[in-house]
Amino acid sequence: MVGVPSAQELSGLYDRTRAELDSPRPNHNAVKTQLSQLKVGLVKIALHNAQVELDPKFQLTKRSILEMGAEFSIKTGDIPAFERYIAQLEIFYYESKQGLAESNVMYPLIGLNLLRLLSENLIADFHTTLERIDLAQLQSNPYIVHPVKLEQALMEGSYKKVWQARAEVPTPEYLFFMDILMATIRNEVASCVEKSYSNLPFDDAKSVLFFTSMDELLRFAQERRWAVSPSEKRITFPSTTENTRMFQGETIMKQTLTYARELERIV
Amino acid sequence: MSSTENAAMEVEATAEQKQAESRRILSEGKWIANLARNVKFLERGIAAAEVHYTHRALRTIFSLRKRLQSDVLAEMIATHASKSNSQSVADCLQHAAESLGQKHVVGPATKVCEPEVCLFLCLLVQLYHLDHNEHERGAKLSDVLVGAALGLQRRTLDPIVSRVIFYYSRFFEVAGRLADARPMLLKALQTATLMNMKETKAMVLTLLLRNFLNYKLYDQAERLAAKSSFPTDAPNNLLARYLYYMGRIEAVQLNYSQAQMHLLEATRKAPSTPATAGFQQTVHKIYVIVELLMGNIPERSLFRTPVLKKPLQPYFELAQAVRVGDLSQFQDVVSRYQDQFLKDQVLILIQRLRHNVIKAGIRSISVAYSRISLRDICLKLHLDSEEDAEYIVAKAIRDGVIDATIDHEKGFVKSAEVHNVYGTSDPQHAFDKRITFCLGLYNESVKSMRYPGGDHRKELAYADEAIKRERELAQEIENEEYDSDSDAMDDAMDEDL
Repeated sequence: MVGVPSAQELSGLYDRTRAELDSPRPNHNAVKTQLSQLKVGLVKIALHNAQVELDPKFQLTKRSILEMGAEFSIKTGDIPAFERYIAQLEIFYYESKQGLAESNVMYPLIGLNLLRLLSENLIADFHTTLERIDLAQLQSNPYIVHPVKLEQALMEGSYKKVWQARAEVPTPEYLFFMDILMATIRNEVASCVEKSYSNLPFDDAKSVLFFTSMDELLRFAQERRWAVSPSEKRITFPSTTENTRMFQGETIMKQTLTYARELERIV
Repeated sequence: MSSTENAAMEVEATAEQKQAESRRILSEGKWIANLARNVKFLERGIAAAEVHYTHRALRTIFSLRKRLQSDVLAEMIATHASKSNSQSVADCLQHAAESLGQKHVVGPATKVCEPEVCLFLCLLVQLYHLDHNEHERGAKLSDVLVGAALGLQRRTLDPIVSRVIFYYSRFFEVAGRLADARPMLLKALQTATLMNMKETKAMVLTLLLRNFLNYKLYDQAERLAAKSSFPTDAPNNLLARYLYYMGRIEAVQLNYSQAQMHLLEATRKAPSTPATAGFQQTVHKIYVIVELLMGNIPERSLFRTPVLKKPLQPYFELAQAVRVGDLSQFQDVVSRYQDQFLKDQVLILIQRLRHNVIKAGIRSISVAYSRISLRDICLKLHLDSEEDAEYIVAKAIRDGVIDATIDHEKGFVKSAEVHNVYGTSDPQHAFDKRITFCLGLYNESVKSMRYPGGDHRKELAYADEAIKRERELAQEIENEEYDSDSDAMDDAMDEDL
């Protein structure tokens, strides 16, 4: 698109991209180029005519384009792009909402963002985002309730619940982040298991760590350097000896020197 | 009997009324004299470039506020407005007079009107509007005032400007348009930083944080706090407010240890007069929750102080539920006091307490039993299934909450032997923390001591504060929880002396 596109051109392109995306086998490359064209068009129009920001139709088009971009980035698994789209959608979703009616993909997208923060272990950001959501939605909206419950389960340590939550996702897009979350959880469970059990039989280890096949289990055990004994079909975990009795000379020296210095200062 | 009493009271009333009337006339005259005296203070302050004259004038505002009357104010403005240095100041006074509904009367030209005096009078007008619920007029007046004050850029205006800005923000808050106050507040922050007006900067920072927290923009508030530096010698009440807001932001962002430190400091810095009871209550509420989230149970004596007893009642029950570790009791308390928690905006924080309850429950079980089956744990903690219990216990072990091993086949948890605490380095760490605290306290008290110098009168005001502070510190040292330690230290120090 050379020059400044008109609003109709933009919405026309948007409709075509939407149709392409909704078709049974979308051509991802084509959609990608069309999306970048749309984004450039948005910027051009805004630069050309500052008043257009107040036009509700334009805002609606802008929001729909951004939402479509977010959906598409999930489909292709492009997480940084998803992050960028969500950041741009923030002004539409919280507070003023730019005077538009509520979009019906708003809460799924917010829920997806929450899940992304969880899977990347950004718990502080998760909570700050949570604070901005309406309290009523927190308790009733299934898209939001899902990540909230997940976070609680994670904090408690009931990983079984998290595993079961895979089956209860509100939309298929959630599965994408659930898989990433599973990998994070697996590491957590492994470190818990190391500390609490002295040894485990193979089958139990497999179910505890959510593996489906024995090969995955053995590979994982090798990565974490656990002692595998095929004869007894057991995994033994290295016991961590507490070195609490070790004399921590350096710390004590530093502390005593600080005390001496401060006491000397007392007149 | 009652009728005669009433009659007697009526007679008394009329006699009293007459007395009150005469007293009022006298007090009005006294009040105008008070006002004139304050103006003189301000002028003296400007002449000598001393800040504490301004502070004295400002301190009397509290008593003046109750007896503000629009006609007397307009008269004062008229006498001072006739000759003023800058156009903006004259504008302010004119606006103030108009907002009071009085025509701008040009009185006899007395003397040159300093901006401080004019701003002081306009501040009184603001207070008048606030007390009489005339928010629109007050907001418009404040707008003009803040613009003029920032334009004047005189450092002696510092305390007055900070108060003007406070009421500016207050008008917007009461009208519910707090977001509109933000641009002006940000500009004020810029000017205050550039002009090194410490009190205004502290006030504006506090107001901005309050603004952001009102709209729950926690990351913006955090970024503001991170990028700006709060002036360290700000007056105590501003510092207390700032620490409280910082504590709230950090609590939401899971930074519990920092939050606890800030909130504790806020309770200490705030004066403990009955007027500040509301502040103490609010800070203590958040403090209790942060303590619970950190895994410590706050002292029971905290809940018994008369000021805090009633408002903190739901928090007290919450603390009990967390201590016992009973999940059903916890849910019960939360549902019962849900409205209260909603009003205090802490409901989301309280949801996080759920896993603390479970941790406390696991800990008490592990201490009580040397061996317990997973099924029993599941029953005691009201968990959903044995597998859940297994995962939760494994996580608790990993986090260091309990010291135990799980036997998967036989399905039970075996607690490890309790070993001698003195063999580890825990006592050393605990001692170290307390020693550094005491040494820090000593250093701070040395720094805040002041020595009477040449200008004896000036120092009297500060000496009062210093004595009060030292008394506070001495009280703090006395009231420390670890009695035995401090006794030993006292003895040691006595020996040295």
